[in-house]
Amino acid sequence: MGLGWYITRRVAWAFVVTFVIVSITWGLLAASPDPQVSQAATQAALQGGNPAEAQERARELRGLDAPLYQRYIDYVTGVYTLDWGWSQTRNQPVTEAILDALYYTIQYSIPWTVLVVLLGPLVGLYSSANQYSWKDHAATGFAFFGYAIPNFFFGIILLLIFGVQLGWIPVIYNTDVPVFSVANAIQLAMPVFVLVTGSIGAVMRVSRNESSEFMQADFVKTAKAKGVSQLRIYGRHVLRPTMVPLSTTIVGYLLFLFVGSSLLVEVVFSIPGLGRLLYRAIIAQDTSVVLGTTLFFTFVATVGNLIQDLVYTVLDPRINFDDR
Amino acid sequence: MSSPVETLNPLYNSEAGAGTLIEYALDPGYTWRPGSEYFPLAYDMTTDNGEVWVANVREGLQYGGDYGEVTAEDFVYQITQLHQSEWAGTVDAASWPSEVNVEATGDYEFQIELPNPNALYPETFDPYVYPIPMELMQPYVGNQDAQGLQQDTEILELQFTGNLGAYTLDQWNRSSGLSYSRNDDYYLKNAEGVPEVFTQAPYFDSLEVQVVQEEQSRLGALESGETDSAAVPPNRVSRFRNLESTDVYVIPQPYNEVCVYNMRDNGWTTGPGNLFRNKQFRQGLGCAVDKQRLVTGVFRDFADVEYTWQPRWSNWYPQNADVMQFGTGELYGSEATRSRIREAISDTDYSYNGETLQNPSGQPVELSLYHSAGQNTERSMAEFIAQEFGRNAGINVSVEAIDGAQFSQNYWQQQVPENTDQYEWSNGSYNAGPREVTSANAWDMTVVFGLNTYPLNPTTASVFFQRDSSYNPYGYYPSWNASELFERASNATNDQELQSVFAEIFRNIAEDQPMAMLAFPADTVGYAAGIEGPQENFFSGWDFPAWYRNE
Repeated sequence: MGLGWYITRRVAWAFVVTFVIVSITWGLLAASPDPQVSQAATQAALQGGNPAEAQERARELRGLDAPLYQRYIDYVTGVYTLDWGWSQTRNQPVTEAILDALYYTIQYSIPWTVLVVLLGPLVGLYSSANQYSWKDHAATGFAFFGYAIPNFFFGIILLLIFGVQLGWIPVIYNTDVPVFSVANAIQLAMPVFVLVTGSIGAVMRVSRNESSEFMQADFVKTAKAKGVSQLRIYGRHVLRPTMVPLSTTIVGYLLFLFVGSSLLVEVVFSIPGLGRLLYRAIIAQDTSVVLGTTLFFTFVATVGNLIQDLVYTVLDPRINFDDR
Repeated sequence: MSSPVETLNPLYNSEAGAGTLIEYALDPGYTWRPGSEYFPLAYDMTTDNGEVWVANVREGLQYGGDYGEVTAEDFVYQITQLHQSEWAGTVDAASWPSEVNVEATGDYEFQIELPNPNALYPETFDPYVYPIPMELMQPYVGNQDAQGLQQDTEILELQFTGNLGAYTLDQWNRSSGLSYSRNDDYYLKNAEGVPEVFTQAPYFDSLEVQVVQEEQSRLGALESGETDSAAVPPNRVSRFRNLESTDVYVIPQPYNEVCVYNMRDNGWTTGPGNLFRNKQFRQGLGCAVDKQRLVTGVFRDFADVEYTWQPRWSNWYPQNADVMQFGTGELYGSEATRSRIREAISDTDYSYNGETLQNPSGQPVELSLYHSAGQNTERSMAEFIAQEFGRNAGINVSVEAIDGAQFSQNYWQQQVPENTDQYEWSNGSYNAGPREVTSANAWDMTVVFGLNTYPLNPTTASVFFQRDSSYNPYGYYPSWNASELFERASNATNDQELQSVFAEIFRNIAEDQPMAMLAFPADTVGYAAGIEGPQENFFSGWDFPAWYRNE
C-alpha cells in the first residue's frame, strides 16, 4: 500500500477522466449539425433533386441514422481501439494525422522542455545567489525580455536576420532531413531558442524568489557553518526545496505553452506540428481531428500531472502516499 | 502556398489551388491559351450546331499500373455513373444534369448532346473532366459507396496518372507540402500541333510545393532563394521588383472585389424597411466610393477599377456601350450620393439631419461591414468604404473582422427551411428561398467574398443576378429582365449576337448596382529571376510543363 498502489489508482483514474471527457465531447458533437449532411442537401438542391432525401442518404452513409446509444458505443469503442475516424479536411485517418504532426512537434518540444526545466531553475538560483548585483539584473532582464516579447514577432525577426539576411538558417522548415542530423539541429535552433526564451522567464522568476527564501534559512546557515561547499549548498540545500513548489506549476505552465506558443512558432517556422493541426481543424470544423487532438492533450495532461506528483516524493521525502 | 489542400481527388476537389496541384500530375480534358484559344489536352471538342459536341480523345494516353490506355469509355462512365448519379455527390454533378446525354461513339470518341445549343460550351468548364480509369471507379459504383470513392488512396494520391501529367506525385505531406518528380513519358512531348517547346517538357527534375502559412516566411524564402515562387502582396511588389534575384508578374484575375448589401429580411439592421432593396439608394451608395482612389491607395495600382461584371481585358467587355461608371467623375461625391439617397428615401421616414442620415426614430443610420480576419488588404478596403460612406452618404459604418468560414456558415448561407414547398423557390443554402428566408445571424454589408466574373463565358455569371437561382445569398431581385437576357446569351449562335446581348447585360448590371462593384485586383506573383514561362495575362500557366530556368 505505498507508491505502487498510488500509481495504479492514478493510472486507473486517468482512464476514468479520459472516459468522461470523451463522453462529453461525443455529446457535444452529436448535438451539433454535421456540415457534410447539409452540404449533401445543398448539392441535391443545386441539381434539382430532393434535399430532404439527400440529407437522409448522407445521414445513412455516415451512420447517423443508428440509435443514439449504438452510436455512442461505436464511438467509445473507436476511441479505445484507436480508430479515431477520418479527417474530412486532410483526407486521411485522424490517428495518422496526429502521429504525423506529433513527429515534428516532438522534435522541438523535447529540447525545449528539457532546456526550460534545466536552465530555468539554475538561472533563478544564480540570480538569487547574486541578488541585486548586475548579474541578477542581467538574468532578470533576459527573463523579462523573453517573457515580454511576443514569440510570433520574435520568431519573424530572427528569421529575417538569420535566415534572409545572413543565410545561416533555412527560412522554410525542411521535412526531408533526418531527425538526428546537423541540418535538423540548425533548422530547429531558432524555434527552440524562441520557445525557451519565451517560457524560461516565469520558471526563472519563481525559482529566484523561492530560492531567496532558503538562502538565509537555518539549515543553509548550518551547512555553511559545517563547511559544506558552496556548490553543494546551492545544489542540495537550496535548489531541492525550491523545486517542490516550482514543480507544481511547471507541468501546467508548459502544457499551456505547448498549445499556445507552439502554434505561433509552428506558423512562423512552417513546422507541420500539432499546434497547426489543431488550429486548422478548429477553423475548418474538422470535428474528428479536433476530438483526436483534444484526447491527445488530455492524455498528456493526465500523465504530466502524475509525473509531477511522483517528482514530489523524490524531491521531498516528507511527502508520502501511504494515506492517499 | 499559405494553407494545405483538403483533397487531391479530382472528383471531389472544388478548390482552384488544389486543382493546380492535381494538374501538375494529371492533365484535364483541355485548357485555354492566350487569346481565349481552346487548347486540347486529353481531348479535343468540336461542334456543328452548338447542341451536339464531339470529343476526340487523344491516342496514346496511358494510365499507370495495369489500367491501360485512356479511352472514351472512361470519360462516359465517369460522367454517367458518377456525375449524373444521385449517390456520388461529385463536385461536377451540377455540370451534368440528366438532360445532357453522353455516349461513346468510338474507342476514342464520345459525344455530348445538350438540351439547348450553347456556342460557348467548353468555356463554361462544364465538360472539363479528368481522365480516371473505369476499373478504379467500378467497385464504388457497384456499392454506391461515395465515402469509399472519396477516400480511395489511388485516386486521392494520384497514383494512376501514368503519362498523363508533366510530373508524378511522389509524396503528399498533408501539412507541409507535396513533392513531384519529372515524368519522362509525358504524352505532350510527342503530341502533334503543340508548340515546339513542349518536345523537351518538362524541364525541371523535381517540383516542391511547400505550405508556409506566414506571409513573412514565404517572402523571406523567395528573397533568400529558398523558393522559386511566392505570392507578393501589393505593398511589397516594388521591393521585390528591385531585387536582382526576383521578378514580379502582375497577372489579371477574373475575381472582383465587391461590397455586398444584404437585401434579405435580416439585412439593414438599422431601422425599418430595407433601403438596400431600392435601386436609387444603391446607386447613391455607388456614388459614395472613389474607385480610383481605392485602387491606388489600397491595391497600389495593381488592380483595375470595376464598373460592371466583366474585366476590361475580356473579349466580352462592351467597349463601346454606355456603361454607367459609378464612383468616378460626376458619379462620385457627396452631392451625387446624397441627391440619389434623398430621392430614394423621399417616401420613407428616413431623413438627413445635417450631414447625417437618420432612421425614423431620429437615430443615425449605422451599418456593419464584415471583412475576413487577418486579410490586411481587405481590412483596408473595408475601412476605406466606411470612411467614404461616412463622408459622402452620412452613414456610420462599423467595420467588423470575422473568419471567412464562420461568415459563410452563419451569415452568408441561409438556414434551409423545413418545408421548402411553401416557398416560391428554395435552391439550397445559398438561396434557400425569397427574402424572408434568412441566415442564422443578421448582417448588413460584407467584402468577405470576391466573385467570379467568368470572362471566358459570362453566361455562367447568370446565377448571381437571378432571384431564384442557386446562388443569391444577398436576396437580389433584378429590376431588369435578367433571366431573359441570359437565356438569349445562352442560345446565341454567333459572336456578334453574343456581343450585343452581353453589352445589354453589362449595361443593366452597372445601372442596377446589385452590389458595389469596386475593383479587379491582379495577382502579384514573385518568381526567381531566370524562370521563363510566366506571362502577365489571365492565361499565365497554361503551358506550365514548358516552363524552364534560363541559367
